[in-house]
Amino acid sequence: MIKKTLFALAATVAVSAAQAAPEKTECIAPAKPGGGFDLTCKLAQGGLQNGKFIDSPMRITYMPGGIGAVAYNTVIAQRPDEGGTIVAFSGGSLLNLAIGKFGRYTVNDVKWVGSAGADYGAIIVRADSPYKSLKDLMTALKADPTKVVFGAGGSVGSQDWMKSALVAKAAGVDYKGMRYVAFEGGGEAMTALQGGHVQVYSGDASEVAAQIKGGRVRVLGILSDVRLPGELHDIPTAKEQGYDVEWPIIRGYYVGPKVSDADYKWWVGTFDKMLASPDYAKLRDAQGLFPFNMTGAKLDAYVKQRVKDYADLAREFGMAAQ
Amino acid sequence: MSERIFGIFLLLVSAAGIYIGWDLKAPISYEPVGPRAFPLLVFTLLGICSLGLMLSKRPATEWAPSPVLMRVGGMFLVVLAYALLFDKLGFVISTALMSVPLARLFGGNWKQSLIAGAGLGVVLFLLFDKLLDVVLPTGFWLKPLLG
Amino acid sequence: MEIISHLLDGFAVAGSPTNLMICLIGAFLGTVIGMLPGLGPINGVAILLPIAYAMKLPPESALILLAAVYSGCEFGGRISAILINVPGDAGAVMTTLDGYPMARKGLAGPALSISAVASFSGAIIATLGIVALAPILANWALAFGPAEYFALMVLALSCLGGLVGDSLLKAMVGVLIGLMISCVGIDANSGVYRYTFDLLHLSDGIPFIVVVIGLFAVSELMLMLQSHHGGAQAVEVTGRTMFNMKEFMLARWTILRSSVVGFFVGVLPGAGASIASAMTYSMERRMAGKDHCFGDGDVRGVAAPEAANNASAYGSLIPMLTLGVPGSGTTAVMIGALTLYNITPGPTLFQDQPVIVWGLIASLAISSVLLVLMNIPLVKVFVKFLQIPNWVLVPGVAAVSMVGVYAVHGTTFDLIVGTLLGGFGYLLRVMNFPMAPFILGFVLGDMMEQNLRRALSISNGEVSILFSSPISIGLWVAAIAMLVGPRLAKAFEARRNRLAQA
Repeated sequence: MIKKTLFALAATVAVSAAQAAPEKTECIAPAKPGGGFDLTCKLAQGGLQNGKFIDSPMRITYMPGGIGAVAYNTVIAQRPDEGGTIVAFSGGSLLNLAIGKFGRYTVNDVKWVGSAGADYGAIIVRADSPYKSLKDLMTALKADPTKVVFGAGGSVGSQDWMKSALVAKAAGVDYKGMRYVAFEGGGEAMTALQGGHVQVYSGDASEVAAQIKGGRVRVLGILSDVRLPGELHDIPTAKEQGYDVEWPIIRGYYVGPKVSDADYKWWVGTFDKMLASPDYAKLRDAQGLFPFNMTGAKLDAYVKQRVKDYADLAREFGMAAQ
Repeated sequence: MSERIFGIFLLLVSAAGIYIGWDLKAPISYEPVGPRAFPLLVFTLLGICSLGLMLSKRPATEWAPSPVLMRVGGMFLVVLAYALLFDKLGFVISTALMSVPLARLFGGNWKQSLIAGAGLGVVLFLLFDKLLDVVLPTGFWLKPLLG
Repeated sequence: MEIISHLLDGFAVAGSPTNLMICLIGAFLGTVIGMLPGLGPINGVAILLPIAYAMKLPPESALILLAAVYSGCEFGGRISAILINVPGDAGAVMTTLDGYPMARKGLAGPALSISAVASFSGAIIATLGIVALAPILANWALAFGPAEYFALMVLALSCLGGLVGDSLLKAMVGVLIGLMISCVGIDANSGVYRYTFDLLHLSDGIPFIVVVIGLFAVSELMLMLQSHHGGAQAVEVTGRTMFNMKEFMLARWTILRSSVVGFFVGVLPGAGASIASAMTYSMERRMAGKDHCFGDGDVRGVAAPEAANNASAYGSLIPMLTLGVPGSGTTAVMIGALTLYNITPGPTLFQDQPVIVWGLIASLAISSVLLVLMNIPLVKVFVKFLQIPNWVLVPGVAAVSMVGVYAVHGTTFDLIVGTLLGGFGYLLRVMNFPMAPFILGFVLGDMMEQNLRRALSISNGEVSILFSSPISIGLWVAAIAMLVGPRLAKAFEARRNRLAQA
C-alpha cells in the first residue's frame, strides 16, 4: 500500500516536472563578457523573462576559451545532466567543431535546443572604392588577384576568412592566390578598410548599418539567400548578382547530453513559443540579428548538416579535419 | 648566485620554446612572415639575455632570512590552495579557509583571524553576489541545499 | 568651435546626477584603492570592471567610473607614500623620497596638501591637453595602418630602453618574458595554436587581468609579508594642514613644468606614471642647483612626481582613445572595458561614439575637482583607512583579487595561473627585475607582432612599407632619439664634468 502511494507520488512528480520549468536557469556564454555570445545569452534571458516563461531571472555565466571549446568540453564531461543550463553557440563554434578544434567530442555529443537568430556575411568596400558592384570586384580579382587585399576580423581558417576565400573562388581565383590580412575583431578590420589599408572587408551584415548611414562604406553584396529586411533591404544579395555565395551565421543554444527528455522538451517547447512572439522579435532586432527560427529535431538536423558542410569546405580549402 | 640559477632556468625555457616553436607552421599562409618567426626571435633573445644574466657580476640578490622565506612560501601555498578550491568549496568556505592562516601570518591572534575569516567570507559574498550581481561559486555543498 | 560644443555635450553627459554620483563614488574608492598597498589603479580597475558590467551600467557611466577610480588612485597613492613611506601605487614611489621625511619633520599636512594641489594641476593641465590634442590625433589616426602601428610599438619599447638606464639587462629580460607570455594562444593571423600544450584553456592566451592580478596583487601581498614587522605605523597628521605661501612659491614652477612633462610622457604608449614621476623628480632635482634639500623633505620633491603621475595617467588616455593602443597598464584594462560593450577603441571612436569620448573627457575635469576638494579637507578620513590592520586587509585583498579574475573568466584554471604568476612575480621582484617592462612587453608584444606581419602581408613582403609614410618615419626618428638621446646626454654631462675637473 505504502509502496503504491509512493509510486503514485513519484509518478505525479515526474509528470509535473515534464511541464514545469527548471527551477534555476543558467545560460553559459562561452566567452568573456561582452561580444556575441554574451548578447546571445542576453537574448534568451530577456525573451524568457518578458514572455514569463520562467519565474526568477536567468543567470548568465562566462566560460571563455576557443570560441566555445572550453564550454563544450566542460558541459559534456562535467555537467552533462543539468537541465537548467543552456549554452550559447555560434556559426564560429560549429566551424571549429567541424575542423576538430573542439577536442575529442563531436556534433553528436550535445542536444541542440533552439536558435536565437542569424547574421549574414557581407562584402564591404570603402565609400570611394572603384568597385561599385560585386561584378566590378570579381573582374578586378580575376584580372590580378594580387591587387586586391582582403581584410577581416578572423585568422586564416576562420569564418571571416572563409567568406573571403569563397568570394575569391566565385571569381575563379584559387584561395591560395588571394591576399588576406587578419585583424583582431571586426572593428579593427573596419577601421583598416576606412583608412585604405585594405580594399575589401568580408564582414557581417549586422556591423554595417551604422557605417552605411555615415556614408563611409559601401556594401557590394550580402551573403544571404534572400534580401534582408529593414535598412539593408536595398542591398542586393550575392546570389542576385550571379555569384552563388551564401554565408549564414546562426546563433543558438544547446544543452548537455544527459539532460532528461522532459527538460529538453520543455526547452524546445518554450523556445518555439518565445521565438514566435513579437516581443522577442523586438529584442532580436535591437541586437542586429536577423530572424531565424528553428528548434528541436529540425535544428539538430540543420546543425549537423552545417557541420558536415563546414568540414567539406575546410577539406577543400586545405584545412584538414584532424 | 640566484641570478645565475635564474639565468640557467631561462636558458632552459628558451631552449624548450625554440624546440616547440620550430614546428609551428600554418596550413595555409598568405604571409611572408609566418607564425613561428616572432616566438623564435623572442626565445633566442631571451636565451642570449639569460647568458648575460649568468655572467653578469652584479651585487647578489639579498634574500630574506629563511624563516621569513618559509612564511612567504607558506602564504603562496595557501593562496594556491585557495585558487584550487575556490570553485569546489564555494566562495564563502574557501575564503574563510584562506583568510584564517593569512591573518595569522600577518599578526592577527586566533580570535581575530577567525573573525576575519568568517567575516570576509560572508560579507564579501553578500557584497559581490547579492549586491553587485557578480556571480560567485556557491560550491558543491550548497547546491543541494538550495535545490 | 566644434570642440567647445562637443565639450559642452560632454559636460552634459558627465554632469547628469547619476554620472556625478558615479564619479564621486569612483573618486572616493580610487583614493582608498590607491592608498592601500597591494591595490593599485590596474587591479582596482580590473576588479571594478566586471562589477560595472554586471551592474548593467551604460558604457559611458562605466568608463566614467573607471576613469574616476584611475585618477583617484593617483591621488591616493601619495597618502601612504607620505605617511608610512610605502607607495600606495607604482606612480608614488618617488613621492616617498621627500614626502616621508617631510612627515617625519611634522610637515605631513603641508606635504599632503601641496601634493594634492600638484596632482590637481597635473590632472587639469592634462585634461586641457587631451581636449587640444586628441581630436587632432583622431583625425590622423585613420592614416595609422599596420606599418604605423608597428613603428609606434617600437617607439613605446624604446622609450623604456632609454629611461630604464642602469639595469638594462634586467629590463630586457622583463620585456622578453612579457613578450614570451604574449605568444601563448591562437595566432591571430594564421590561426595556429602556439604554446597551448593542447590545453583548451590556453587557446585564447593568458588573459591580461590574470597576469596583472598575479603580478601585482598576489606578489605584492607576498612582499608585504616579507617586510612585515608588526604593522607600519602611520605618521600622525598634526600641525597645519595647509602649505604656506613660501612653500607654494617654491613649488609653483615645478608643478607646472612637471604637469606638462608628465602629460607628454603619458601620451607615449607604454611609458606610464612611474616613468613620468621618476623623470620629473630627477629633472627638478637637477634644475634646483645647489639650493635644495631633495631627499630630505623638499616640497618640490613631493610636488614634481605627484603633478607628473596624474598628468601622465590622463595623458595615457590619448593613445587609448585615438589609436586603441594602451598608454599604460590601466588603460589596457580600460580597453577591455570598451570591448565588453562591443566598442572598438580607435580612430572611429570620436566619430561613432562622441557621447562616450567627450563624456569621459568632461568627467576627468569633474573628478579632479572632486578629488582635490575631497583630499584636502578630508585627508584625516582617508588616513583612517591606513589603520585597517593587515590581518583583515591582506586576506581581503586576496579574496577581492580572485573575484576580479573569476568574474571575467569563471574558471579555476585562470585562478591557478594567476597565483603561479604571482609566485613567479615575487621571485622576479626580489631579484630586482622591474615590472613595468614585463607588463609592457606583454601588452604590446602581440600588437607588435601582428601589425608587423599585417604590414608585410599588405605589401607582399616589401620591407619598405615600414618606412613609407611620413607618420611612420617620424615615429622611427623619435624611437631612435629616445634610445640614443639619454645616453648622449649622459656622455655629454660626463665629459663636461671631466673638463670642469681638469
